[in-house]
Amino acid sequence: MPRYIEGPEVRLTENDKIFVDAEFYTGEKFYELELHRMFPITGLTKYIALMDSEGNEIAVIRDINDLMPESREVVENCLREYYMIPRITKFIKMSEKFKIWMWTAETDKGICTFEIRNHLTAIKPLYDGRVLIKDANDNRYEIPDVNVLDKHSKKLILPKL
Amino acid sequence: MKLKVITNKPIPKQFEDSFNQLIKNDDALFIVVGDLNLKGRYAESMMVFTADKIIAFDECYDNGSFSVDYADIETAQVKRLYGNAVFKVKFKTGKKKMLLRFSYAAAEVADAAAVFVNALNEGKDLTEELETVKSVYHKQRCFCPKCGRKLPNPEAECINCSGKGKLISKFGKYVIPEKKSLFICMLLSVVATGLSLVPPYITKIMVDDVIPGRDSAMLIKVLAILLGIYILQYVMNGFRSYRLRLAGDRITLNLKKDIYEKAQYLPLSFYDKISTGSVINRVNSDASVIQAFIMKITQEAVVQAFTLVGLVIIMFGMSWKLALFSLIPVPVVVVAGRLFGKIIGPKYMRLWRRSASISTVLANSIPGVRVIKAFTNEKETINKFARYCDEWYKEDKKVAVPAAVFPSLITFLVTCGSIVVWFLGGNMVINGSEEISLGLLVSFVSYASMFYTPINFFANMSDTYQNTLASAEKILDIIDAEPEHNFGEGNTLQRMDGKIEFKNVNFAFDRSKKVLSNINLTIEPGDIVGIVGTTGSGKSTLINLLMRYYDDYDGEILIDGENIKNIDMKYYRDSIGYVQQEPLMFRDTIFNNIAFGSGRVHVEQVIHAAEVANAHGFISKLPDAYDTMLGERGVGLSGGERQRVSIARAILKNPSILIFDEATAAVDSETEHLIQGAIERLISGRTTLMIAHRLSTLRKANKIVVVDKGEIIECGTPEELLKMKGKYYKLVEIQSMGEQLQKKKAEENFE
Repeated sequence: MPRYIEGPEVRLTENDKIFVDAEFYTGEKFYELELHRMFPITGLTKYIALMDSEGNEIAVIRDINDLMPESREVVENCLREYYMIPRITKFIKMSEKFKIWMWTAETDKGICTFEIRNHLTAIKPLYDGRVLIKDANDNRYEIPDVNVLDKHSKKLILPKL
Repeated sequence: MKLKVITNKPIPKQFEDSFNQLIKNDDALFIVVGDLNLKGRYAESMMVFTADKIIAFDECYDNGSFSVDYADIETAQVKRLYGNAVFKVKFKTGKKKMLLRFSYAAAEVADAAAVFVNALNEGKDLTEELETVKSVYHKQRCFCPKCGRKLPNPEAECINCSGKGKLISKFGKYVIPEKKSLFICMLLSVVATGLSLVPPYITKIMVDDVIPGRDSAMLIKVLAILLGIYILQYVMNGFRSYRLRLAGDRITLNLKKDIYEKAQYLPLSFYDKISTGSVINRVNSDASVIQAFIMKITQEAVVQAFTLVGLVIIMFGMSWKLALFSLIPVPVVVVAGRLFGKIIGPKYMRLWRRSASISTVLANSIPGVRVIKAFTNEKETINKFARYCDEWYKEDKKVAVPAAVFPSLITFLVTCGSIVVWFLGGNMVINGSEEISLGLLVSFVSYASMFYTPINFFANMSDTYQNTLASAEKILDIIDAEPEHNFGEGNTLQRMDGKIEFKNVNFAFDRSKKVLSNINLTIEPGDIVGIVGTTGSGKSTLINLLMRYYDDYDGEILIDGENIKNIDMKYYRDSIGYVQQEPLMFRDTIFNNIAFGSGRVHVEQVIHAAEVANAHGFISKLPDAYDTMLGERGVGLSGGERQRVSIARAILKNPSILIFDEATAAVDSETEHLIQGAIERLISGRTTLMIAHRLSTLRKANKIVVVDKGEIIECGTPEELLKMKGKYYKLVEIQSMGEQLQKKKAEENFE
């Protein structure tokens, strides 16, 4: 069974932006741990594994909201750095040439252009209105709620869902 | 400005000046252009690699750039995060620094850059290392200049452009063999349609001449002609339907066969990304949709066009005024048709996705019915299926509205047209116009109502066309997909000794995670090699590459000095006997399951193979022996029995190389002993690769390869590795402890 972190028994500090150092109340110390979401699609704040550089799981945070505020902030910052899933807020244009679609979209990380080769496999609509997109380079994007997009964006994306 | 620098993208404009300023005295060797800044926002960034340093450009740096000498770097590394990656260096002082951040689009070139820096620091030759970097950049640019499609190598011919390319020509090849049948049918249709234009004219003669003239003899004559026309018309239609059905069936059959054939030659990476349900759907339903459309185009469309032209001539001949009024709804119908297509096209696409999802659930759950029952998960499975069906229905309802309303709207417009004709023509007859008689009006209305049938047909065409386009796209997805490349077609080796070499092999299923890194391995002919490692360490992937299931790797794999990509695929795979952990049995007899893939073989060869595989004993005890029909996935045989049948299958091929992928992992000790016996008889004199968890399986191995996290960490004879006291030593210790414990327990129970 994994070692679960319930709340204040660990102090987490940032290490090189994407890693954390962990100090348990037992005195154990671990350095350069990577944060891995166990449920990167369905549970963004729950069950976050701490892995060492060998890929061994040190512990699992049940819910980051139960951590001490400073540790929580560190975890949130690291996750933000580690997981890059730009949230698409608007589709600017879509063009197709020889069955390769170029999408230009506005995201929370800025404007980006990505390539999609097969809409059927690249776009996955979820039941809660979210849409997950994986481009030709395996980069990921998310539309938080397809229903609240503007009219032009909907016109572009809805036929592909 | 240096134009010859190797780069994955043009140098960002914002860095051009500082690039020219900073790189003046140095020669930039290559550049990695990124698409994120260090804070993870979309922005341009880049790293320039010279002979002795890296200069990173990013808007987040104080001066816009940062320079590092290779001499100060201990290691360079690309760390893949989720959806992005970073290029990091560790300084000799122990400090670390992130130099560049980028999406996966630049990950491969950045990987090459990290290898380059580390190699130079190890004192390797710059020119040689630069060549490796160049080849990675070159691979990135392997696109067809015409269509942008990714090619397996720069010289490869693009299958998309070498073909005719167009939708019509692609499906046209299925129509051509049927051209004779289709032409006869079309001719018959045209004649039948021509005949159908006669009865309204006869109505005119009857109303205007025969009935008012009370000419009974003429009436009989006219009716006899009418009867003759009807008989001829229906006989011709019957014959035409028969020919058409057969021609249509042949078109569908050929199309289905082609899709299936293509699906067989698609690489495994295609199936990694697409559900089997979706492929089944394409073979079954989409092929029929295409067939229906081909029929519609080659037959009905021609006939309807002919009818339309004939009617226009007749109607204008009768009364040009009435004919003009009849044409009023035509533009409305055409505009409405185009609008309808725009509305309904995307809806049909969505509907298709829903029905493909249903097929996927079916393809997943029905073969897994044993597991479902074992876990009493019937209710959940039913609910899941129901949910998918409901989703389909929800989407279908959205299609149903325009699909139902549009034809009704057209019919309404058409009816309005006939009311206008009655109104105008009726008035003309009432007012005693010489231009038009009562018979002519009645006959004109008949023609006018016939006139709207082709109009209706062409208006509805867009609906059918949109539906077909969605299906055609799905089919072309398979037909146009890149097949497994058989670059060495016809190139066989005179004799395969079985020397296997992996040279600098790197592989990733997608860009998010490397599965194999820097694999270098030489296996001599006749070697028995044990591949060990933890689950997920990359053992099976190594075999997948050797089997040529995936071709998109860096580096080379050689057999007897020849790159496996240059050897004829069939010859190559025929030379390898592959026994998997969970062998698949086909719904066929045991005999055919053993003989699978070996062509025509003599009965005794099969029996001999079964004997060597320790399978003959249990097979001959079965009531139907070799004729025993196996159920789906080998139902009727135990795991060990299935395994022995699959070993017999491998024996029959008489391969030069043998691969056992955890062949004894799922069987008890006694069966393992039987299988082990079979394997030992089989491997003599053949190069053998054995993936095994149980080290007892590797008793005969003269070489052990330990794979961990995609890398070979130990390689040598078992004795050498035991002396090294590394990972293999640990595995042996753990397992022998376990075995001793088991033995002790067994003894205790026995006592």
